[in-house]
Amino acid sequence: MAETNTWAVALGIARRDLLDLWRARMLLFFFVLFPLLLMGMFGYIYPPTPKSNPTAGTIGTAFPNLPVSIVQMDDGRLANLVAAQFIQISGQQGLFTVFEIASYQSARNQLVQGNLKGIIIIPNGFSEALAAGQPAIVQVTVDETNPTTASIVQSEISAVFSIIGSSMSAQNIRSMAGDDVNPTFIMQPISVTNIPLVSGVSSSFQFLAPGFMALTVVTGALQGVASAISREKEQGTMDGLLVSPIPKRSIIAGKVMAQTVRGLIQGFLILGLSMILFGVQIYGSPIVMLVVMLLGTASFVGVGIILTAVAPDQETAQMMTMLLQFPMMFIAGILFPVDQLPVWMQYIGKALPLYYAADGLRKVIILNASLSTIMPDVLVLVVYTFLTMTLAIPLFERAMRR
Amino acid sequence: MTLEKTQLASTLSGYAIETHRLTKRFNAFTAVDHVNLTVDRGEIYGFLGPNGAGKSTTIRMLSTLLLPSSGTAKVGGYDVVHQANEVQKRIGLVSEKMIMYPRLTALENMMFFGSLYGLDRDMLRKRSEELLEMVQLTPFKDKQVGGYSSGMRQRVNVIRAILHNPDILFLDEPTTGLDPQSTRFVRDLVKHLKQQGHTIVLTTHIMEEADELSDRVSIIDHGKIMAVDTPQALKDKYGTNSLLEVFLDLTGRELRDSTNEHFSMRAPMGRM
Repeated sequence: MAETNTWAVALGIARRDLLDLWRARMLLFFFVLFPLLLMGMFGYIYPPTPKSNPTAGTIGTAFPNLPVSIVQMDDGRLANLVAAQFIQISGQQGLFTVFEIASYQSARNQLVQGNLKGIIIIPNGFSEALAAGQPAIVQVTVDETNPTTASIVQSEISAVFSIIGSSMSAQNIRSMAGDDVNPTFIMQPISVTNIPLVSGVSSSFQFLAPGFMALTVVTGALQGVASAISREKEQGTMDGLLVSPIPKRSIIAGKVMAQTVRGLIQGFLILGLSMILFGVQIYGSPIVMLVVMLLGTASFVGVGIILTAVAPDQETAQMMTMLLQFPMMFIAGILFPVDQLPVWMQYIGKALPLYYAADGLRKVIILNASLSTIMPDVLVLVVYTFLTMTLAIPLFERAMRR
Repeated sequence: MTLEKTQLASTLSGYAIETHRLTKRFNAFTAVDHVNLTVDRGEIYGFLGPNGAGKSTTIRMLSTLLLPSSGTAKVGGYDVVHQANEVQKRIGLVSEKMIMYPRLTALENMMFFGSLYGLDRDMLRKRSEELLEMVQLTPFKDKQVGGYSSGMRQRVNVIRAILHNPDILFLDEPTTGLDPQSTRFVRDLVKHLKQQGHTIVLTTHIMEEADELSDRVSIIDHGKIMAVDTPQALKDKYGTNSLLEVFLDLTGRELRDSTNEHFSMRAPMGRM
């Protein structure tokens, strides 16, 4: 009988695991559906937001054509002019669909019924104030039952009135000081312009996509390894592996290979979908990207094995991985920036390898970072992989013969 | 290790299997208690006992799946703890849970498990097909075993265990849940394997099966061996012509309702 080679056996085990996935058509369906759903969901929650450019008078919005109404209580010329400008700018920039409603009360009823997101009231005396050289006031009511939409509507209405106000100021300044004066010098002597970190990045979603990709790959590996091993234990096939004269770590190696391939498939599905649907672009090297994804997976596989060694059955193993993976979404900088968390939580977030995988991936994909630039991330992932594997392999071997 | 050395080591030991005060404890529970047993080469050794008596735990220790708490065991002349790899090359295991992947075909299962023994691919394929032919599964060899009947699955399970032509075969309740035809087939297969020179350790709850197949039987209860002899000698000794009566005389007639609590507390991830 020939001696078995660890890597040859591991390859055989990995091949079998993948064949199993391929044949389990329903499982395969959900395996593909999951990342697509995740990405689609987050993609629409964080939709591509065109950037605003106040100096050029443009306002970006994630929620175009929100329904609002204008209630005109002043019949003066200036009030009509401002209302007309508001409707014009909103229409041009696709911000609001504006309805003119006669009374505040009926507009409010419409808002309560959910037909409107905001009401703009031009009160009585508006034209008079402006004509007398006094600042005039516009009142706004927004649908506060949805805080996110409310704050967007509020800020977009303000932005539109600020554009209208600026053009009125410019006219006033010219009429007072003559054409030689640059009104902008008086209104806003210093302005700020933005040099984009990466030119052409038009969507904030671009910054979220790499995080989701890291999350899917990493949690896939974590869950996959844990359930693959415990399933084999429960169905009895693990005995068939353990009773054969193979180096026992080839079982781990095989599982890891199969799960890595699965993780990468899901990761690239996510990337593909976010490129097609949400216009995400890759600026960095695909090879460096692959390296980070592989290391991210490797750093979690050990954790998966440790859980398997400790858990008495597949169900418990799954619960344990869920417990680990769910908070990671929130504290490892995937959905929220880590800096936004309480300090103690930041420490936990930054202790998770997912933080470094997401950070590395984000820098490579968006900032075209080289391997040497993201070396700190890479090193943390390597150290994590080494430590967890060092702990996991003997623990697994002991657990299997206990 | 060369074949000559293997044979030499086994010859030195004399027995196919030999244990000395073999013990397994799970916390306070002693599943196997200082068991001394010997199995001769080429014999069928029936290993009988009520549920929870320690049969499966003993078999798992002998097949290197479980580490003994104390005592020693040699299988094929090799120590199950320190020379596990050598033991593994010489044993085949048919456990209660079928060792096969439901989404693989019979042939694929054979090829996969055979590859774990470092068998040459062409040779492995040839041997797999011969064995499948032997158990009359050639027409179904390319069908996924998940769709097989339990009798068909058990036939695959048995030939999977003898792919690498092991000296010693552990059969843990090989006919449980099978229909009479499949039971007959598996029993005949066991006899055939004995004729080919395999040493077989057989656990079963079916006394008639133990009586028919075993050269010797041992009866274990509460982790201790109560009696070992040929079925006939045991029946003579207890003045009955039924092995079942011998078994009940030795192990008592009260029901054995045991829970596996001590296992789940101690041994993670499924066990026997």
